Formats: sequence, C-alpha cells, structure tokens
Amino acid sequence: MLVVNGLRANVGEKEILKGLNFTVAAGEIHAIMGPNGSGKSTLAHVLSGREGYTVTAGTATFNGQNLLTLEPEQRAQLGLFLAFQYPVELPGVNNTYFLKAALNSIRKSRGEAELDAVSFLRLIKEKLKILHLDDSLLKRAVNAGFSGGEKKRNEIFQMALLEPKLAILDETDSGLDIDALRVVADGVNALRSSERSMIVVTHYQRLLDYIQPDYVHVLAKGQIIRSGGKELALELEEKGYGWIDAEGQAA
Amino acid sequence: MTGMISNGFSHWLTAAPDAHKQLFELELPTTKAEAWRYTSLKSLLEQNFTPAEDAANAIQSDDLNKILIPDLMSHRVVLINGRYVPELSALGDLPTGAQIGSLRAALASHSEMVRSQFNQYAFNSLFTALNTAGLNDGVAVLLNRAVVLKNPIELIHISIGANQPQVAQPRHLIVLGDGARATLIERYLSLDAAIYCTNAVIEIALGRDAVFRHERLQMESENAFHLTGLSLKQNANSHYLGVNIGLGARWSRTELVTNFAGEHAECDLQGLYLAGDGQLMDYHLDVTHAVPNCTSRENFRGILCGKGRAVFDGRVLVAKNAQKSDAAMSNNNLMLSEGAEVDTKPQLEINADDVKCSHGTTVGQIEPEKLFYLRSRGISAPLARRMLCLGFAGEIIHMLHEEVLRDYVAEHVGQRLEFSATGLS
Amino acid sequence: MTSTSAVDEIVKSEYEHGFTTEIVSDTFPPGLNEDVVRAISARKGEPTFMTEWRLKAYRHWLTMTEPEWAAVHYPKIDFQSISYFSAPKRSEDAPKSLDEIDPILLETYQKLGIPLEEQKVLAGIAVDAVFDSVSVATTFRKSLAEAGVIFCSISEAVHDYSDLIKQHLGSVVPHTDNYYACLNAAVFSDGTFVYVPKGVRCPMELSTYFRINARNTGQFERTLIIAEEGAYVSYLEGCTAPQRDENQLHAAVVELIVMADAEIKYSTVQNWYPGDAQGKGGIYNFVTKRGDCRGDRAKISWTQVETGSAITWKYPSCLLRGEGAIGEFYSVAVTKGCQQADTGTKMIHIGKNTRSTIVSKGISAGKGQQTYRGLVRIGQRAEGARNHTQCDSLLIGDQCSANTVPYIEVKHPSANMEHEATTSKISDDQLFYCRSRGLTEEDAVSMIVNGFCKEVFNELPMEFAVEAQKLLSISLEGAVG
Repeated sequence: MLVVNGLRANVGEKEILKGLNFTVAAGEIHAIMGPNGSGKSTLAHVLSGREGYTVTAGTATFNGQNLLTLEPEQRAQLGLFLAFQYPVELPGVNNTYFLKAALNSIRKSRGEAELDAVSFLRLIKEKLKILHLDDSLLKRAVNAGFSGGEKKRNEIFQMALLEPKLAILDETDSGLDIDALRVVADGVNALRSSERSMIVVTHYQRLLDYIQPDYVHVLAKGQIIRSGGKELALELEEKGYGWIDAEGQAA
Repeated sequence: MTGMISNGFSHWLTAAPDAHKQLFELELPTTKAEAWRYTSLKSLLEQNFTPAEDAANAIQSDDLNKILIPDLMSHRVVLINGRYVPELSALGDLPTGAQIGSLRAALASHSEMVRSQFNQYAFNSLFTALNTAGLNDGVAVLLNRAVVLKNPIELIHISIGANQPQVAQPRHLIVLGDGARATLIERYLSLDAAIYCTNAVIEIALGRDAVFRHERLQMESENAFHLTGLSLKQNANSHYLGVNIGLGARWSRTELVTNFAGEHAECDLQGLYLAGDGQLMDYHLDVTHAVPNCTSRENFRGILCGKGRAVFDGRVLVAKNAQKSDAAMSNNNLMLSEGAEVDTKPQLEINADDVKCSHGTTVGQIEPEKLFYLRSRGISAPLARRMLCLGFAGEIIHMLHEEVLRDYVAEHVGQRLEFSATGLS
Repeated sequence: MTSTSAVDEIVKSEYEHGFTTEIVSDTFPPGLNEDVVRAISARKGEPTFMTEWRLKAYRHWLTMTEPEWAAVHYPKIDFQSISYFSAPKRSEDAPKSLDEIDPILLETYQKLGIPLEEQKVLAGIAVDAVFDSVSVATTFRKSLAEAGVIFCSISEAVHDYSDLIKQHLGSVVPHTDNYYACLNAAVFSDGTFVYVPKGVRCPMELSTYFRINARNTGQFERTLIIAEEGAYVSYLEGCTAPQRDENQLHAAVVELIVMADAEIKYSTVQNWYPGDAQGKGGIYNFVTKRGDCRGDRAKISWTQVETGSAITWKYPSCLLRGEGAIGEFYSVAVTKGCQQADTGTKMIHIGKNTRSTIVSKGISAGKGQQTYRGLVRIGQRAEGARNHTQCDSLLIGDQCSANTVPYIEVKHPSANMEHEATTSKISDDQLFYCRSRGLTEEDAVSMIVNGFCKEVFNELPMEFAVEAQKLLSISLEGAVG
C-alpha cells in the first residue's frame, strides 16, 4: 500500500529525514518511535503534504501512485488521513458543515454520489457513538475551544467518518490522560480492518499497549535504525532512548 | 464668495438655492480633514446627482416577491428612491402605542412628538445637512412606553435608476419609549445597475430600559454610492445592538455616532464588510461615554479582495468622571489579494481612571495551518479558503437574530467570495 | 484615602535636578532673521556650503506654519523673543582634557551623575557633554579613533568630515520635513556626530548629556549617526535641565543612517524641567527623530524614557527600506502635574520581510495629558512585512487623560499586523495586596509601575536601566502618602 524508498527531506537548509525505507502493506499497523527531534512528525507531514518541507531525494508511493507530487486534498481523496498532533482550531467554521464538505469531496473524487443531509446525519450520529462524543459537537466550530482530549477524539471521529485506507496518527497520545487514551485507542481499534493500514507515530510505548502494532520502527536523527516486531517497543520502554542515540552515532 | 456652489453639492437639492445658502457654505471635506483622511469625495463629486424621481409605480408586487426573504415575518415598509410606498408595504398588526409610517406624513400631521424629536439627535455634518435640506420622506417609528414588537420591522430601500445619476435622501426617526422593545432590519438594494446615491440619515432615541436591535444590510448595486449617518442617544439601562453588514456599493461611508445619556446603558456595534474590486467601504464609529457605568462594544470584521479598500476609524471617548466605563473595540481584517488596502485607526480618548478600555486590530491572511487542516481532510483549496473566510465572517453573521436572515447573508457573502475567486486562489 | 494623597504627592514632588549653574554666557540678542542665521554660521566658522544650507532652510521655514494637530496646548511661541546662539565663554579654545574644563561645569555634571570620571570610563562610557550649544568635553575619542569610530560634535564634523556631512546631513530629515525640523536646520547650535565604519562594532557605549542652561536660549541640537555595513553602535542620550521660569523651546533633529547588516541602538532618558505645579515654566520639547534602514537586515532600535518637559512632541521613526530590515520602538512616558505629551512612532515598511515592534507604556498622573500617536504603514512592495504593537496606558487619579491614536495602513496581502491597546489603573486590590505583605504604599506603587514598564526597561543598556528606574521612582515619589 505505502512504499517509502530513500526518502530525504529538509526544513529550510536543514536535513531532517536522511533516507527512509519502509513498506506498509494493507491491514498492517506500523509504529514509528523515536526521541524528540528524530523526524517522526516531519515524516507524517511530508507524507500528508504539508508546506514547509522539501523532499530532496527518494520516493513515496501509495497504491502505486507517486504521493509526493499531489496536493494535500488529493492525498486525502486517495484515502490518506493524518490525525494531527495539534488539531487546528477553526473558529466560525461549523463542524457539521466541515465534515460534510470533507466527506462529499472525497466521495465525489471517487465518483460516488454526494450524501444528502438525512443520510449524512444518520452516518455521523453512528460514528459519534464510537468515540463517545456528544451531539452538541456538531453545532460547535471545528476544534474551537475544545479540550485537549476532545480534540484528539474529534480527530479519530473524523477518521471513522472518512474511512481512510491509510491513517497516520501523529502523537495521538500526547496530552491525554489514561481514560482519554483508552477511548481514543478503542476508537482506533474499532477501525482496524484487513484493508486499512495505520502508521502510529509516538514517543512512548504506552499507546502501543492499547494499539498493538505489527511492526515497530525506531527513528533517530532522521534514519530508521532498528525495525522489529512489537517486542522492540517493550525493549525501548526498558532501556529508554539513550542506547539508541549511542547506536545512531555509531551507525 | 461663491458660497452657493462652493461645496459642489447644490444639485442634490431641488428647492431654491437661497434657502440653503448656509448649507453650501459648509466646507467640503478634503483628505486633510482627519475624518476624511483616507476617503476622497472625488468620485462622488464627479457624478452630477439630481434628486431622485418618484418611481413608486415602477415596481409591482411580483417584482417585490423576488426581493423578499422567504419566511421572514416582519412589519414591512418599502421605500423606493427614499419615498414611503404604502402599496408595497405591509405593516400587519401593530400593538397599541406603536406607530410606523411615513416621516413626511408624521411631520405634516403636526404630531407634537415627531416635531419635538426630529433633527434633535443627528450629528453635524455636510451630509446630514444635505439630507435635512433635501428632506423628502422616510420612516418614523414611534413606540410608546413598554410597547414590545414581537416581529421585526423591515425597511426595504429600493433604488430605481434613471438616465441621470440620482440621489435619494431617506430620513428615519426612531423613538422608543421607556421599556419598549423592537427589532429593525434595514436593507438597501437596487434593481438595476444605474448610478445613484443613497444619503440616509437615521436618528434613534432609546428611553430608559428600552431594547433595540438594529440589523443593517447594505447590498446596493456595484455602481451605487452609499452614505449613512446614524445617531443614537441612549437613556439609562437601554440596550442597543447594531449589526452592520456591508457588501454592496462601489463607494460607501457609514458613520455611527453614539451618546450615552443615562447610566448602565449598553451599546454593541458589530460589523462585517466585504470590499471587492473597485469597492471602498468606509466606517466611522464615534462612541462617547459621557456618563459613568456604561458599556460599549465595537467589533468589526473585514474581508478585502481584488483591489478593494476599507477604512475603519473608530473612536471611544470617555469623558471626565465617566467612571466604570467599559469599552472594547476590535477590528480584524483578512487581506486576500494584491492591490487591496486597509486603513484602520482605532482610537481611545480616556479622561477617567477607573475604566476598562481596550482595542485590538489585526490585518492578516488565511492561516496556512488552517488551510492545510481542511485540505488534509480532502477539501479543495478554493473551497477551504471560502470556508475559512465564511468562518471569519460567520462570527458577525451569527449576531443576526433570524436564521433566515443569517442564511441569506451567508449565501451572499459566499457568492461574493466565489466572485472574487481570482483574489482567493 | 491614601491613594488620593498619593496622587497629590506626585504633583507636589520637586524637580530634583532643578539647580542653575552660574557661568558667563556669550549669547546673541533675541531675534531671528537671515543675518542671525549667517552670524551663527560665522561664529562657528562654517564653510560656505553650510551657510547656504542653513539659509535655504530658513527661507523655507518662513513659508511654513506651525503644526496644530498634536493634542497639546500652549501659548503661541514668539520666535523673535528667542536667542539663537549661546556658547560657554571658553568655547574658542576648546579643552583638551578634563583639567581644562570649567570646574563649575564639572560640578554640575557630578550633581547630575554624569560619568565623566575615570571610573565611569572604565565602565565603557565616553561622554560628549553639551553645555548649552557648544560641546565642551569629549573623552576617550582616542580609543574610539583606534577602532575607526568618529565621535565628535557636529560642528567639528562640519570642518573635519565635510564630505560625510555634505552627503548625509538632512538626507533622513530634510529641511522641508516639518516646521521645527526646518527651524533646526536653519539655526542648529551643535550636537553629535557618530560614524562607525564598515564591519566595526563600536567598542563602548556612546553617551551625550544635554543640559539647557542660559535664559532665553533655544536649544537646537542636531545629531547624525551613520553605521556602515555590518557596523554596530549603541548611543545613549540623557537630559536634565535647571529649574527656571520661562518656557524654553527645544527643537532637536536626530538622523540615523543604517546600512546593510548594521545596527543602531538609540536610547534616551529625558528629564527636563516639566514646569511647576501650576504648569508654569518647563521645556517645550519638539523633536524630530528618524532612522533610515537603507540596507538589507539593517536594524534600528529606539528606546525612550520620557519623564520631563512641559510639552513633548516626538515620534522616533524608522524607514524600513532594506529587505529584512527591523525597526523597534520601546517607550515609557510619564506625564504628571500639568505635563502634556504627544508621542509615538512611525514604522514605514517599504522592503520585503521587514519587521517592526512597538511597545509603548504611558503613565498619566495628576493633570497629565498623554497621547500615543503612531503610524504603521505597510507598502505595496513590503511582502511578508510584520508588525506587532502593544500600547498600554496607566492612569493614576481622575484628573489625567490618556489617548491612543494609532494609524494603520496596509497595502500588501501578505502583511501581518497586530495592534493591542489597554487602559488601566493601579487597583486598590493590588495596592492592598502589596501592603498586606508589608510594603509601604509608595514602594507598592513604584513596584507596580516598574513592573508595568519592565518590557521597555529591559531594552535599555544596564546603566541606563538603573537610572531610568530611579527616575521613574523619583517622578512618582510620594505617589503615596
């Protein structure tokens, strides 16, 4: 589904990603772990098409299509979804209006008919339940005045609604207490399927107790220095990132 | 002295020029005058406006239906070229003590109340003086003590052009007795693309505890000129909420002047302006806290696209001894295109120490993070921009009371943004 | 009520620096005409180009009218009743070292705490003190000369560096700029000239103290500072004046020229005689200060602490021409008694990615009147320009006033401009809180006001910051009973 090959990217003059290689097949969950500044969020942003990053080498293909030349909305229309580490507040932009515009533009790109108001509302209420979210959310502006937990739940709610093929969860656990983390993780697990892949970007192993990955990659200084199964995450938990830094320097 | 024609506006009036000798000796404001620093009268002076003709018969009720906002229940007054047209108006049932009708008729009927209140509140300016001198008609709204109107009053100003540029000078007098409550919706529009000018003067006096909601939609045609001079006097505990939506006219200037005459009164002035290519939107707010314990809010938002221009000149004056005055003014602008310009001047003049006064102004663009967030959800860039602009405007549009009106305005703002798509890309 | 008595005390607090130095002045009789302009030029032995420059300005001045737009009120100035030249007696024979300086003068400076002494020099300060209209002392020009920095009176510069003067004088503030700047160009007495060559970081902070002295003498200082590419200089200007009865006009002009990657930091502490409790006397301070960021990444930082003068009228400004140029304005202004101040800044964004910051803190007490007047203009080519403005007023007592008059003109769609303004007073709660912790009311007020001004004081060089805080405390002394 996603093939990343020799990917290098800069922010300004500074190289952040220094040649990444990994492949995510349908239905797989990959965790990307690493210390602060290792390039985890940069990877999430480069894949979803955020401005401010320059890809200097390498490729990223999504179901055979070159991802890197596409506009952010085109990537979303293909089925890529980024759950933001810091969801953006959009005061004055109504949530329902926003969700409907997003869903219909994705459906339209796939040649599907736009949903009418009634079926849309039915769908949305169904999805709200998964995340234990209240109806009142629909009347509010997107993320405006939301608590940290509400924002993260809202991200997963959008994911449930838009049904992506590949979801990238960028530090979805940051700023969540244990109860909120469980709700978010349950939401994510409910969306697991043999056709849907996920990349879970996280600093801590904690989230992986709830969302079990198939593969774990350790990112340090812009490179994947170790890959393995979920046991690698536990190893990291035990030893911290110190040994990785040392190893990264040796590499 | 060529006093008679010195300020260039003599042709606005039909009456014998001698009667208005004084008027024409009023100085023509130039950009050297502080209040006209950013606004030139040149384009207005270039037009040889003559008093608008009576065109009451030009519209039939079928035409009117196209203009009406569906499902808006109101006490409707239609004015064509500044004149009250009873045939098209539908006042409906009015409670006892409520009087709505032609100002000309009210003045002619020697109503003591109208005569004693007329021209008592209007602030001094050349355009007020022109309006007074050229007085033809307008609307008088008089509510006795404790009279409450459930449905809004709707004033529909329709301009109908002629071969020559015309000027209509409607004049409204609105007096609410103690404890009276009402909502007024004013709409300014035209049925053709003729060059014309509206020079409206509105006087409002609110009794103690009166509550008045005033929603104004300026949607004149793209060739129109528009002037509004609104004066407001508020007695103790009264509450005024004004929502000013400016979308139309190529050149418009709105002056809102508020005076507090009693304590614990509140004045809330909200505004949204959208200046597209070739448009000038000019707002002047003058709020005087002459007595203690009053509250004022001024919150204006503007969107500029094409070569649109906007001016915001807000002034809050707190007089000596007007302690516990609470004033907050803000003006936020979204600049969408090259060639647009905004000049803003939010002033505070504070002469008392125990006050809470602030102002904030911003000029900026659509934030890239917001745009990216929407696009990452599959929404195209142009639609995302439109959504964000509408969100920005929405905070003011939401101040409108009736949902049908909110939808109507949002629809028009959306269309305008689409129209300005070149500036949005 | 203690806070009321506090206010009364501010109004009463005596002007600390109010003493007069006895010294024999060589002063022109009052009056102004072409002959006076020529005589000033002749007395200073100026070359012909300078005399002509002055005359041109004088002739233009005759065609101008006094500006009236500022929110200040004062009786009409009779420009014919002012004497336009005054020099200390021994000016012909300028002193070569401190020993040659009139002891009375030295004493004056010591009273004012001017760091002329060796210890102060060790602190890194060279002083060019202006006594009335002619420079009388310059220290450590030698070590500056080694660095290639020119630091002298502008009169000397007219002789010794006439090419630089010809090229730059009036290039930032032309004589046609405004009424007072034009008058200054015609009759300027003396002032400071600083030239920092390419790539040089001035080895010490440069400082000038001004002192208005002789009766009926207008002071027309003229300052010109040039920082060539990559240069840096920090310049400090401080003023105090002796107590006197009649109003004195002060119309200075300061021009800064900053080339690519250069920076000028210009700090002012202004504490001239503000007039007595009834508003009698005091200095009229009508100043034109402007800096021109001509090169890319050029930077100008104006910091001012204005506590003196009966009337202040000044708007230190920045022309941000070069790409990425930076302009800053940090101001504390105090008006008490019958003082009036109309002050602020202009940030003119011309180049791409130019940035400006404005922080203005106004404190009004007694019958003080204060206006912040500022202009932020973002021009059609100023892509990516940024401005942030913060304007706060603190009112002490119900007889004072504070106005905020910002002008914001934006003509580029990529500009980002934010302006915030607040008005507040020292609350009874704040005072009570401090006092319940054992502070006197006076200390509490001083502490709260200093906190209010902290952002600006942080921008002053260390020595000045201490002086500024002291000055503020003295100004508000007895703000409490």
